[in-house]
Formats: sequence, C-alpha cells, structure tokens
Amino acid sequence: MRSLVRAAWRAFLTSMRLRVVNPWAYLNWLVFPLIFAAVGLFVLTSTGYTRVAYGVLGGGIIGFWGIAYLDGGNSIQDERWQGTLEQIFAVPTPLFVIVIGKILGSLLMGLLSFIPTVALAYFGFHAALPGIDPLRFAISLAVLTFSFFVISVALTPLFAVWRTAFTVLNGLELGVYGLCGFMFPITQLPGWLQPVSYVLSPTWATRALYAAASPTRGSDVTTDWLIALGLSLAYLVASIFLYRFVEIRARVTGELALA
Amino acid sequence: MQSIGAFARSTWLQYVALFQWATPLGYFAYKVVLPVTQIVFFVQLGVFATGPRNALYFALGNSLQLTANGGIFGVIATVSNERQYGTLPLLLGSPANRFVTFMSRSFVNVIDGMVSVVFGLIVTAILYGIDLKSANVPVLGLCILIISMTTAGLGLLFGSLGLVMRDSIIIANVVYYGLLIVCGINFPVSRLPGVLQAVSYGLPLTRGVQAARAAVAGSDIGHVAGLLAGELLIGALYAGLGYALFRLLEGWARRGGLQEAY
Repeated sequence: MRSLVRAAWRAFLTSMRLRVVNPWAYLNWLVFPLIFAAVGLFVLTSTGYTRVAYGVLGGGIIGFWGIAYLDGGNSIQDERWQGTLEQIFAVPTPLFVIVIGKILGSLLMGLLSFIPTVALAYFGFHAALPGIDPLRFAISLAVLTFSFFVISVALTPLFAVWRTAFTVLNGLELGVYGLCGFMFPITQLPGWLQPVSYVLSPTWATRALYAAASPTRGSDVTTDWLIALGLSLAYLVASIFLYRFVEIRARVTGELALA
Repeated sequence: MQSIGAFARSTWLQYVALFQWATPLGYFAYKVVLPVTQIVFFVQLGVFATGPRNALYFALGNSLQLTANGGIFGVIATVSNERQYGTLPLLLGSPANRFVTFMSRSFVNVIDGMVSVVFGLIVTAILYGIDLKSANVPVLGLCILIISMTTAGLGLLFGSLGLVMRDSIIIANVVYYGLLIVCGINFPVSRLPGVLQAVSYGLPLTRGVQAARAAVAGSDIGHVAGLLAGELLIGALYAGLGYALFRLLEGWARRGGLQEAY
C-alpha cells in the first residue's frame, strides 16, 4: 500500500513540476477562466446583478473543469509524445495509481482558476457573492472537486488507447459547460437535453455550489450533494471495467507508442 | 498552369494534413460539434441574461465568429503543426516562393470559414427558428466572405510566430476566445472600457459583425460599405504584417536553429 501511495505521490510531484513550466497549464487556469468570466460577466450584468453569481463563479468552474478533465487526460497523451507511455503500462504499478497522482495535480492547479475570475468580478465589475453560506459552499466545492476527480480518473485511460481523444473531447467542451450548468441553470436548456444533464454528476454539484452562493436559502443542497456523490460512485465502478479493458487492449493492439 | 496545380495541391494538403481534425471523427468534433455547442452555449447564456427576444443577437454573433475557427486555429495550426510533425526544417529549406507558401496557408481556411458560418446559421435557424427572410442575403454573404478573409489575415500574423515558438497554438486559443470579448459577438462593443474599444476596432470581425447584423436587419450595401471597407483594410494590414513577420522570423528561426525545437 505504501508503495502505491509513494507512486501516486511521485506522479503528482512530476506532473506538477511539468505544469509549472508548461504554458498550457497557465492558459487553462488563468487565461481561459478569465475569458469566459469576462464574457459571462458582460452578458449577465447587462440587465442587472441578479444573476451575477453565474459570472463570478462560472469562469472558475469552467477553468477548474478544463484542467481536471482535459489537462489530466492530456498528461497521458504527453507521455505518448515523450515516448514514456509504454513504460507506464509495463511497470508493476497499476495505471490508475499513476493517473490518480496526475489528476490530483490537475485538481490542485484547477482550483487556482477561481482566483483570477473572482478578482476580475470584484475589481472589474464590482461583483461579489454577498449571500454566500461558507459551510455549504465549502462542502459543495468539495463535492464538485470529487465529481471532477472521479470523471477525470474514469476517462483518462481513454487518452491512452484513443489517439484522437483530446480532439474529440475538446470539441465537446462547450457542450459540457452548458449541460452541467456551469454558467446558466440547466432549466435554460431544451427539455429533451435536460435528462442528459441529470446523469452528469457535475450538474448536481454545480447546482449545489450556486445554491450555496445564493442569498435565498430555500433549496435543498443535501439532495444535490447525495446525487452528485452517488453518480460519481457509479462512474467509479464503471471505470474499473474501463481500466481493465484499456490495459488489455493496449497490450493486444501494441499501438501505445503510435503518435 | 503547373504552378496553379502545385498551389492547389499544397493548399489542400496543408488543410487536410496539418489540422488536428484530419480524421473524420476529429473533423466532426471540431467542425460540427464545436460550432453547434458554441452557438447553443452562448445563445442560452444570452437568453438567460436578457430574455428570448435577443436570441438572434447571440446566435448571429457566434455564427460569424466561427470564421475564426478556420481563420485563426486553422491558419496558425498550419505553421505550428509543421513544427510538431517535424516538417518545418524541410519547409524552410525548400526553394518554394515564400509569398505563395505564406498565402496558401490561409486559402482553404477562408473557404472553410465561410462554410462554418453557413453551417452555424443553418443550426441557428433549426434550433431557434430564427427567420432570415427580411435579411439582405447577398450583403450578408459578402460580409461572411470578407470576415473569413480578415480573420485569416489575423491568423497569418499569429501563425508566423509558429516559426520561432513551440506552443504557438496557445496563441490561437487566446486569440480565438479573446475575440468573443472584444469584437461585439455577445455584447455591444460600447459596453467595453475605452481602451478595449480601441483594441476592438483595431481587430478584424468587429466591423464585419456590425455590417452582418445590419444586413440581417435588411440594410443594403450602401449602408455597410464603409464598415466592410474598414474590415477589408484591417484584414489586409494584418496579412501584410504577417508576411513581413514571416520573412523576419524565418531568418531568425534559421539562424537560431529554432525550427528543430518541439
């Protein structure tokens, strides 16, 4: 067990060191969140400040998601480009242990996304979150972090066996922002799309986060937390089969090194 | 005739080989899913903020901004991916005419940009039932053509940086999404602070989008000629600056051996 923790810790440290010198990391936690927050704040404040929480937090959630999910997966793609992906599959340490280390690094970096967006909202638009409930907000953020963590861990192996994973998932990015209600409630979506949102754990965690930042305390965030956690656990179970599939497929096809 | 054939082959090969969406699935993700989701996301954001009556404003702005998908991403990728795939030293070592090489980077992307906008407008019409019956369609078409060319001009300028930068595709991301803020795509330019308004009118798209909005409202060519002339001028300026930068950085890359770095 100690050796697995040590391996995950080393993967975490290495991925963090690589991110510090990688311009993509800064794009993801600093530039993208600021751009989306700016657009969101300009649009959402055009008719008053009643919906401003979606602008203050929305850019940060988008940045957090982008790093957790795409940057985490892309770190596997980078291993391919650097010629080390085959070694990762060949070592005795299970793939998921290395992936967990990488994703924890992504999550830590992703949480930074809230700093520039909240600062932009405050200094650029004089917008804040006066109705925030610190405890419920902290728990909701933890639930959101856990849901991002599980999705990232579950989907990252796809990047190992599917060379166009980044291209395809990157193309879906804005769709995920909408489906999970990162910058507007999912009730805005067409009715036929909303069931898709309901099976995504970040939808519920995001809903809880906005409810905790709202001055009206009416909504029941506990239900949202429980649904987000339940869906995350379901993803985790499904990911066990995905990891098995990927580990076998990687050995059968022998295409890990193909760039 | 032979050189025209070479130009046609090279523009096509650059398009299909240097994009990350060269595979059918990748193309579908970038050229179908991304435009649809971008339009839906920003229209829903706009409707949430300002009400359903403004859906056309957001839908049209984001449909027009799709030209930057080919014009910015596509053009910058044609240089940065030469480096990624290890063919940049061959390109710089070849005796090919530099002006033709440079301009060919944008040719198919201009066409691609126009196709993207038309696709975006069709999506808009289907999803939001937006009616373009009162629009001046020939003028709107002209706006789309000009915007596609001018965004490619901006792409050529930043694409040149790929000769000396390892991660110039990052620039593409910043420029593409930055245009959403400063070019009047999702809110009027007048809402920006004064400095950013100046930046806005120094960029392609701003005047083109204003002209296209006017064309959709039924304006004739006389009303938008000034805006379109300004848009063309800006695009030509960026393309010219891009070519000068391309020649400058080509020498710099060769002297420093920078074309080998990736």
